[in-house]
Amino acid sequence: MTATLRPAASPDRRAALLRAAGEYLAAAALVVATTLALWPLRDRLTIANESLLYMLVTLIVAVRFRTGPSVLAALLSFFAFNYFLVRPYYTLAVEDTRELLDLLVFLTAAVIAGRLTDYARHQAEAAGLNARQQDILYRLTSALNPLTDVDAIRAELRRVAVEELGAVEVEFLPMPPTAPTEHHPAADVVFVLLQAGEAIYGTLRASFLRAPSTSAHRLLIACAGQAALALQRVDLTAQAQRSRALGEADRLKTALLRAVSHDLRTPITIIKTSAANLGDVDLAARLSAEEKGDMVQAIEASADALDRLVGNLLDMSRLQAGAVVLNEDWNSVEEIAGDVAAGVYRREGTERIRLDFPDDLPLVRCDFGLLRQALGNLVDNALRHEPEGQRVVIRGRAEAGLVRLEVVNHGPTIPAEERERIMEPFYQSRDGRSVMGGVGLGLAIAHGIAAVHGGALAVADTPGGGATFIIRLPQTEGAP
Amino acid sequence: MMILIVDDEPQIRKLLTAGLKGYGYDVLAAADGHEALTLVAQRRPELVVLDIHLSQGPDGLEVCRRLREWSRVPIIMLSVRGDERTKVQALDAGADDYLTKPFGMEELRARIQAVVRRAVAEPGAPPDSVIRAGALAIDLVNRRVTVAGEEVHFTPQEYDILRLLATHPGKIMTHPAILSAVWGPEYADMTHYVRIYVNQIRKKLRENPAANVRYILNEPGVGYRFIDLP
Repeated sequence: MTATLRPAASPDRRAALLRAAGEYLAAAALVVATTLALWPLRDRLTIANESLLYMLVTLIVAVRFRTGPSVLAALLSFFAFNYFLVRPYYTLAVEDTRELLDLLVFLTAAVIAGRLTDYARHQAEAAGLNARQQDILYRLTSALNPLTDVDAIRAELRRVAVEELGAVEVEFLPMPPTAPTEHHPAADVVFVLLQAGEAIYGTLRASFLRAPSTSAHRLLIACAGQAALALQRVDLTAQAQRSRALGEADRLKTALLRAVSHDLRTPITIIKTSAANLGDVDLAARLSAEEKGDMVQAIEASADALDRLVGNLLDMSRLQAGAVVLNEDWNSVEEIAGDVAAGVYRREGTERIRLDFPDDLPLVRCDFGLLRQALGNLVDNALRHEPEGQRVVIRGRAEAGLVRLEVVNHGPTIPAEERERIMEPFYQSRDGRSVMGGVGLGLAIAHGIAAVHGGALAVADTPGGGATFIIRLPQTEGAP
Repeated sequence: MMILIVDDEPQIRKLLTAGLKGYGYDVLAAADGHEALTLVAQRRPELVVLDIHLSQGPDGLEVCRRLREWSRVPIIMLSVRGDERTKVQALDAGADDYLTKPFGMEELRARIQAVVRRAVAEPGAPPDSVIRAGALAIDLVNRRVTVAGEEVHFTPQEYDILRLLATHPGKIMTHPAILSAVWGPEYADMTHYVRIYVNQIRKKLRENPAANVRYILNEPGVGYRFIDLP
């Protein structure tokens, strides 16, 4: 295992050689120094004392400088010991074969100590390297986590490859490489597949000045794996969103078809049948004036219903497409409510609304026509559930920073689980109550209109029973 | 009386022609703007019912502008729901009134009668010294307003607005027109003034929209209209 992640360049190699030479010299110098120190004492010390001292020096060298220098130290120690300190002095003659044992012990101890040192050192270096790799990988993973964009993920992987692993050029290929092209003639090029499970998100092509070490290569693969996981997460999220949108579109389409088949066909059938009856000369002759009048009225009512329905469908599609152009002006919501209430009186021929507005309600910046439509839809809905003989209340109140418009009915309370859904297009309550022209668009449109004004539509329980729909409209700055 | 109908839909022309003939009017019909301009010049109708959206040639607004260059014939424009900007443009182009499709023949007939009545009455002076509408009576000579016999006090500006609207019953008064007439032309953009004052006037008139007791009607995004007096 190499000590550095980056491959050593030639100046590094020269420095390593110099360092090794220094270590050998230092080992030799230590032995010489020991010999000089023992020289004056050679008659007073025992051989055992001296040999143990040399052993100590050899071990120190081994621990400090590894196997090579320690073997040198062992050899030098044996000869210096024998030549200078053991009688007869200045000879290498070994009188006793037991002294050969000394030499062997020196050498073996030196080699064992050196190896142990080497091993410990490699372990420490490997641990350090591992920790750095873990750190790089960890930081990459943390950086990738919040990213939701393919380009940002690639940029992050590129940054790690260049800054941490020393790549000089990083490129993303859409698919596994077939015939690698050489961009950098002298470069060592590595291809890494961006793979997460079965899915492949292209290939990373990294060029290095020198072939990366095995560990660097492995780290690059690990990083690419993390990036591939991030790419897969983005891909899956996008897929989920697409299928949700498709599901929603599908649901709307089904609901629209159902609504169209019922709510459009009914008035058309009435118009068609009434007109045919009136047009049939024989039949018309037998019909009373009252019956004819009823048919004419039915035609007119059906046409009005169709008009409302088409208007609602158009509004809905404009709101959903975000294509509504607001004709905004300072408006009195009381005026708007008055228009709605008068319309109800004209339609029903009786007073079914009670207006409740304070004298000092501020003007609101809004589109008169759209807000009247929203309020009208809420009122139509409220009237549908209002008990006979009671009145739907339209109430206006000022709140901090906004104006609140409430439509209060006293009919059944809306079950909690239906509250959210009633604002969805084409939703109809489970009792299936729907009047002609109402295909469950009214509340969705009111909701959309409140939203384009920067406001909101909410529903609450009426104290004592019933539903209260609340439009909140923001009070814009500079209100007169 | 002769009425010219301008609409590019043959079915609508046919229905309107039949309906108006049924009310006793003479009816001409044109399918596009060029034909309409020619017919007004040659046959001199006394009223024009003009669709704002014509598929060929000049559209309704353009026809209206060109007619106003040389003719004072009353013009009622036909528009569709939610088309407030175009309605304002139509009034600016010189149209007398507009009607939103779909509408009933009764409604068209009432508008025609109102527009013709105003056209006949207009260059002349105030109609009556007292304007009556339901429980409301406005004595223009003494500047006195009573609701169900009770006198109601108005500030000078409130009275000016009420008088302006009430002396043009059934006619749309745009916000800028009201502001210019009461406060002066430099106030023509301050539409919120009108809103606030009209709100006050309505309360004093004791309008009750829930029972359709109203004297001043909203023309969303355009202005106000005093109810038409029969």
